[in-house]
Amino acid sequence: MIILALDTSLSAVAACVLNADTNQVLAYETIGMERGHAEALLPLVDRVMARVEGGFSALGRVAVTIGPGSFTGIRVGVAAARALGLACEVPVVGVSTLAALAAPMMNLEPPATVIAAIDARHGQIYVQAFTPEGRTLISARIASVRDAVRLFGGGPLRVVGSGAQAVAIEAWTMGLKADVADVLNAPDIVYVARLGLLADPSVSARPLYLKAPDAKPQAAKHIPLAGSNQPF
Amino acid sequence: MMRVLGIETTCDETAASVVQLRPSGGGDILSNEVMSQIAEHAAYGGVVPEIAARAHVDVLDHLIKRALDKAGMKLSQLDGIAAAAGPGLVGGVIVGLTAGKALALATRKPFLAVNHLEGHALTARLTDGIAFPYLLLLVSGGHTQLLAVKGVGDYVRLGTTLDDAVGEAFDKVAKMLGLPYPGGPQVEKQALHGDPERFTLPRPMMGRPNADFSLSGLKTAVRIEAERISPLTKTDVADLCASFQAAIVDVLADRIRVALQRFETQLGAPSALVVAGGVAANGAIRRALSRFAGEAGLHLIVPSPVLCTDNGAMIAWAGIERLGLGMIDDLTFAPRPRWPLDGKAELSLNGKA
Repeated sequence: MIILALDTSLSAVAACVLNADTNQVLAYETIGMERGHAEALLPLVDRVMARVEGGFSALGRVAVTIGPGSFTGIRVGVAAARALGLACEVPVVGVSTLAALAAPMMNLEPPATVIAAIDARHGQIYVQAFTPEGRTLISARIASVRDAVRLFGGGPLRVVGSGAQAVAIEAWTMGLKADVADVLNAPDIVYVARLGLLADPSVSARPLYLKAPDAKPQAAKHIPLAGSNQPF
Repeated sequence: MMRVLGIETTCDETAASVVQLRPSGGGDILSNEVMSQIAEHAAYGGVVPEIAARAHVDVLDHLIKRALDKAGMKLSQLDGIAAAAGPGLVGGVIVGLTAGKALALATRKPFLAVNHLEGHALTARLTDGIAFPYLLLLVSGGHTQLLAVKGVGDYVRLGTTLDDAVGEAFDKVAKMLGLPYPGGPQVEKQALHGDPERFTLPRPMMGRPNADFSLSGLKTAVRIEAERISPLTKTDVADLCASFQAAIVDVLADRIRVALQRFETQLGAPSALVVAGGVAANGAIRRALSRFAGEAGLHLIVPSPVLCTDNGAMIAWAGIERLGLGMIDDLTFAPRPRWPLDGKAELSLNGKA
């Protein structure tokens, strides 16, 4: 099966095509950028797919990072992936950005708890912890750096992502052994494809925001109404 | 026969539609799917951009699928994919624009980035096949403009609001009177039983030689009257709504009269007076415009309410018009939260043009 993977959830726009049967990367492109994902993604997908024999009709699946990350970036990726899935009549699977960041750090020596941490600003991180073999230890969540590190238990930790340095510093102050493996703020797109192959194709990709919209219900402020004329 | 899929996500309605060009003029709407988010936003008393964007991305592909199925079409049978690229809430625009581009890319069909306002402006050609040029009153929650529509992509703005849009004024009045969201239709409902002459409200800009609007003063006048007589009985609320709506109707008729004079001076007689946008669903406004058009000897076109509020058919139709003229866009097209129809007109003070 041939899978197309997309990522626009953090500081890059990336796509790759992987042949699952031969484990061969057929085409690959990634561009680092903080903004402009909506303009850059589809021309990039066009270039990547042009290098794949059979083009879009060769695809068997689309994978996309669903976050956590930039809300807008997540939606660019998911909207594109789901439309491509509709056009190609193939399943669209979601891949957690945290899982994709952590994936290259599994089963390394010496064994360590793998922490994926993305800077969520205002002193907070999106974070998930994995056993050295890749099982989830602490599920994906948003937390302050301190609260997150308290959850990890003993070390050693291998930390990856844009929040890695903050996590490592906090871990050191608590006397834990922590190693910053990578501070890149975007997952390796080939791992997004690999994780996409493992995902359940019957569950369509949906954004994983981990944060509610920043809006509060309004107490309706209106001019006083007579007793018999309460709000509708 | 040219067929185009239209996608609309610029505010709080997710919509998709397939429209087919009719050889005799105008178009046939093969499907017109709309999913409104009113319930999601009701608790906040207005559209929350982040909530809107989240809702669009959750439902859009299902809605497109449904529009295709109801039209009995496969993507491969279409001639182009059109998506509204603005103006509107950028988070939502990005969802529809990205999905449209992705469909166009995967099917190798032309992509058409449509100005949402142009969708409203050209709807009368979809429904009635009228010729250019015509006079357009565009009235919605976000826009209030009078335009000369000279051709596809060719507009002259004759007047715009300096502050609130008409729909916005309706919603704000509803809110201050404790009416539920969305308030526009509620004000109309209350006004049915109210006395339009009980309160003397101003008619801002009446008689001015330019065709601009200003509605914030009218809204404030309603507030002052309401506070003066509060607590408000049911009759008070109905009378305030009726008096407010009557003032809006008078202002609209006066501003259209001025715009028509300017139109005739610059371009000769218009082929019609066209009303578009969500506020065109208001019955009192429809009746007043019909009276005005009758007196002025103008052919009046008010699309049905489903085509006045945001919809995918108008985007598909604008896509057909643009595709017919070879006005195709590429996949780098960026969302445009602000996108005036008349690029030569000065930006309005509030960016609502």
